[in-house]
Amino acid sequence: MTTPSRSTTPLLELDRVAKAFGSHVAVEDFSLAVAPGEFISFLGPSGCGKTTTLQMIAGFLAPSRGTIRLEGRDLTQVHPSKRGLGIVFQSYALFPHMTAAENVAFGLEMQRVSRSERTERVRAALAMVGLAGYEDRHPRRMSGGQQQRVALARALVIRPSVLLLDEPLSNLDAKLREEMQIELRQIQRNLGTTTILVTHDQGEALSLSDRIVVMSKGRIEQIGTPQDTYERPASAFAAQFLGKTNDFSARIEGASPARIVAGGWSAPAPVGMRGPVTLSVRPERIGFSEEGLPGRVAARIFQGNHWLFQCETECGPAIVVRPNDGLPQPGEGEAVRLAWRPEDMSLRAGAAA
Amino acid sequence: MSRNGPLALAFHGLFVTFMLAPIVVVCLVAFTPEGFLSLPTNGFSLRWFRAIADYPEFVHAFWVSLGLGALSSLVAVLVAVPAALALTRYPVPGRGALQALFLSPLMIPHVVLGVAFLRFFTALGLGGTFLALLAAHIVVVFPFAFRLTLAAASGLDPALERAAISLGAGGFTLFRRVTLPLILPGVVSGWALAFIQSFDDLTMTVFLAAPGTETLPVRMFLYIQDNIDPLVTSVSACVIAITMVFLVVLDRLYGLDRVLAGKGSH
Repeated sequence: MTTPSRSTTPLLELDRVAKAFGSHVAVEDFSLAVAPGEFISFLGPSGCGKTTTLQMIAGFLAPSRGTIRLEGRDLTQVHPSKRGLGIVFQSYALFPHMTAAENVAFGLEMQRVSRSERTERVRAALAMVGLAGYEDRHPRRMSGGQQQRVALARALVIRPSVLLLDEPLSNLDAKLREEMQIELRQIQRNLGTTTILVTHDQGEALSLSDRIVVMSKGRIEQIGTPQDTYERPASAFAAQFLGKTNDFSARIEGASPARIVAGGWSAPAPVGMRGPVTLSVRPERIGFSEEGLPGRVAARIFQGNHWLFQCETECGPAIVVRPNDGLPQPGEGEAVRLAWRPEDMSLRAGAAA
Repeated sequence: MSRNGPLALAFHGLFVTFMLAPIVVVCLVAFTPEGFLSLPTNGFSLRWFRAIADYPEFVHAFWVSLGLGALSSLVAVLVAVPAALALTRYPVPGRGALQALFLSPLMIPHVVLGVAFLRFFTALGLGGTFLALLAAHIVVVFPFAFRLTLAAASGLDPALERAAISLGAGGFTLFRRVTLPLILPGVVSGWALAFIQSFDDLTMTVFLAAPGTETLPVRMFLYIQDNIDPLVTSVSACVIAITMVFLVVLDRLYGLDRVLAGKGSH
């Protein structure tokens, strides 16, 4: 068999993978091909099956159906200790009876790497995550962020074929989380390690990933680049889970040319749709203008670099975000008209929930 | 400390006195120069400590107790560790029933156990042997070893073992490098409690012991049935002293609060 070129062969492949616990289906029909060096996020609320999928890749759970292939090799029968994957756990799972260096060295010891090479690689790994000099510290004497870095170094030092991150940043405070996101991305780019991140934090998924797998109730809702999934959500769930969105009840009216009508706002309708539709627009894509959907500002909230308006309209409540650009903004109770460009909205058949 | 009101302090004081006074009294009586049980009023004497040497049965009984305690607690721990790990790791069918079974010796009065074992071992032709004593003690001390090991094992974050597995550790390496060190405080405390339980048992052992296999409590019990002199107090004082040394060593090695609370090492 000839070796196909690396760039076109997926490194990790999940083929119609499913997992059921008794009658409860946790993951259904999960198919995904991960290219070498790619950063993928599994995004969804708790119970959507993202962690279950990660555990099947790691080998801690056996899939009920389907196959998982790593570099073309079926992983299903491979023991988790032989898969060569690096895992960072939500609780970090550092060995409390070992120092930072001993924690990082553990995987190398298991691989029977010589002592001198081990010392050198442990030192380099800790330096990479900015913890040079912390070799002899025990985890309980380190902050959450430092423990997180040790866990990352421990997972990366064995040069895993795939790095699995299980909500690794969710125990950090907001500021530290942002710093770690940037650092994680840089380290991942530098090493080129294929990475799968499980998260419920859409911001994290958007800022880190090459592609996002949006999941809900055990199913994939959408797979796409962060921009794609944000701007062209494939389902109502994807639209609502990734960022805030406004759902307006609208109607397709008239024929040749048909128009979408939402109160005082209208635009040419795409062919083939009729009757009641739901129209989704992101809050930052709605502007106040001379004409459009009439409404009233119910509340105006100042948020530093932007304003947030809660408006009431005849097509449903609306959230509008405007940059704080120094221009005058409508006040609470004022009548406004909302408008947006047709290319900024997405349409679904049926009335808004 | 400052949160305790005067009433609470008084209660604590009374309680501690109630616990310690008998021990202090026994130790004081051990130093009496008299030939009967009395608090030493006219000088201290070591004659009752010297008297222990004249009764080799006490020394022998001490070694029997020590050996019995060490062996029975060791066997109990060796069985308790895999049992506790299996019950916390795997969906064992009938887990609740198994746990109840393992803990059941706690619920049977030792008098009943004593009679039952006596009948059982006599029928087997093992009556009065060290082996019979050992088997009976293993059964009685096992729940103590099991309970604390189970607490440590169930308090262990499963992610720790998974992390070790993902890094390539499997089978015995995983147990030796990660699992055991993490549950060790629980195992050690289980072992210590099991040992104390075995060393201390009189009710059941008195049914099973024969001349030559008498434990220290049995020997002392038999002695005070015939004699009322301060010898038992000096023996008690020695046991108390040994216990203190044992506890200090345990405290240095693992921390006494951790051992007695049976917590994991997080």
